[in-house]
Amino acid sequence: MIGVALSTRDLVKRYGRRRALDGFTLAVPRGAVMGLVGANGAGKTTWMMAVAGFLRISSGSIDLLGRGPFDAATHSGRFAILPQDSALPLEAHPEALLYRYARMQGLSSDAARRSTGEMLAAVNLSDRARSSIRSLSHGMRMRVRLAQCFIGSPEVVLLDEPLNGLDPVEADRVRRFLRERRGRQTIVISSHNLHDIETLCSHVAFVEKGRVARTSTLEAITRASNRVTYTLAAEPSDMAALSAVVPGATFAWTAETHDLVCTFEAADGDVAAINRKLLPALLAQTDVLAVSSGLSLEQAYLGS
Amino acid sequence: MKCLFRIWQVAVAECSGAVRSRRALVILVIYLLSAVFCMMETISLLGKMEAELSNMLQLPESERTGVVSATLWKSKPFQRMVRSGVRNELVYDDIVGRHPAELVYAWFAFMCAPLLAVLVAGNRVADDLKSGSIRYAIVRVTRLEWTLGKYVGQVLMVALSLAVSAVGAWLVAVFRLSGVGTWELLPAMFGWGVRAWMYALAWLGLALGVSHITRSGSRATAVGLMAIAACAVWTSVLRYWSEYADWPWLLHLDALVPSSAEMSLWRRSFVPLFTGGVHLFVLGMTYLMLGHLALCRRDA
Repeated sequence: MIGVALSTRDLVKRYGRRRALDGFTLAVPRGAVMGLVGANGAGKTTWMMAVAGFLRISSGSIDLLGRGPFDAATHSGRFAILPQDSALPLEAHPEALLYRYARMQGLSSDAARRSTGEMLAAVNLSDRARSSIRSLSHGMRMRVRLAQCFIGSPEVVLLDEPLNGLDPVEADRVRRFLRERRGRQTIVISSHNLHDIETLCSHVAFVEKGRVARTSTLEAITRASNRVTYTLAAEPSDMAALSAVVPGATFAWTAETHDLVCTFEAADGDVAAINRKLLPALLAQTDVLAVSSGLSLEQAYLGS
Repeated sequence: MKCLFRIWQVAVAECSGAVRSRRALVILVIYLLSAVFCMMETISLLGKMEAELSNMLQLPESERTGVVSATLWKSKPFQRMVRSGVRNELVYDDIVGRHPAELVYAWFAFMCAPLLAVLVAGNRVADDLKSGSIRYAIVRVTRLEWTLGKYVGQVLMVALSLAVSAVGAWLVAVFRLSGVGTWELLPAMFGWGVRAWMYALAWLGLALGVSHITRSGSRATAVGLMAIAACAVWTSVLRYWSEYADWPWLLHLDALVPSSAEMSLWRRSFVPLFTGGVHLFVLGMTYLMLGHLALCRRDA
């Protein structure tokens, strides 16, 4: 399949009677940053482990970079993973460890040294390059684990909860680092933080009970709905007046967030047309603090 | 070639990890001190025996240990005693011309090689499986390359330990034994170190093979130590049954344990040394590959 970096078809992984993966079918386009969204135990981590060859699958097929399932002899240096809950060797130094990993995946000595330096700088750990992993904090270890994924710029990278345990400044740095890679590398991110997925990913897959329930571009998922959200200073006193302006629309007020959600028919026009009609009516009753259109990923996920 | 390169990278990572963790240093020191202690104790014992002997024969006592022993070692009655103790004519012929100090070190090195192998390598794979650190390596190298790299790394560590212990034993012999040429004994000591290293090849395979089948480092080490005992029991049982039931073919099964090839390593000539070394290497690889098969069939 041209244009697909990674695909799995009807993947099944059984643990006794329980199916951790139950027909997991997903295709990740080349250069995409895909987010996996799902509840705990939905199968996101199991899928990543299966793709990386850590788990023996019960049935189904995996195709990584058009060369079949993962095989280190074929895919070394072209694929990397940030596995969840996998400790680094505690006695190693970040610099020596990354250098050794780079050499294992076939980089020359000079290239390995250069790539190690770049990655340590990217995760802001150049000053701790020769400290032992044991002496690093949880967040710093996570950054070393992230750095090892991008040594030698592999074509496909799987990241399982990549921002877990990072402070806000470092999390932002990593977000920027990942955004820079859009289009250059194929990245799959599993995260419970939907805001991160929304800001980083071009594609999203909703995972439920070991299978993909829905997959599409982020744009298609969050912008498809004919819906505008107005954040107001107070609840509008006259909802009937609003309904009169846009007859086909329905309005829902959420007191906790002071959001008024307007869902309209396609025949009523686009978001701009709705705003032109509704905003004067709203301003006549209260102040409008913010306007946003479409769904947030969280709303799309919870509503799916 | 790529495969060999990746095996070497894993081996280097293994050795550098051991050096950084000071695990290598601790094992080196323990092995060096054990060799020195063993030599000193043996020489002290020799000294006491010589003093007693001199007293009994009403001879003047020698200032340094070794003079009487060296004479005794060359005496026919003593050699007859050694011959009956060794129970192998070929080995006896090969060791009878050697200096006693060499043989003391050889005995120590051979006795400690299995223990050294299990203590050095017993937990190396199991710990990586438990912590999950194996995953960072096996997306870059195949599981087979990783297993072989671990083995090569441990083989290098044991070689270094034996080399250091040989130097320690040599220094003790030079300073405390009479009639030992300063430089004559060193190559001989290294020679025994190399033989003990060949012996350790099989035990390292066993220790690492066991380490592949569990996620607990301490359990792997414990099973490795039990395997050493089991090998000794295996040989004894086979010998007993082959004589008791008159089934001499049973003795062929002894080839499955490393101790069966130990006597070949005490020989001087090349052929038994070579065949013994190959036998031990094949045994080590067999144990290692059995463990590797278990790793290949499991989730990492």
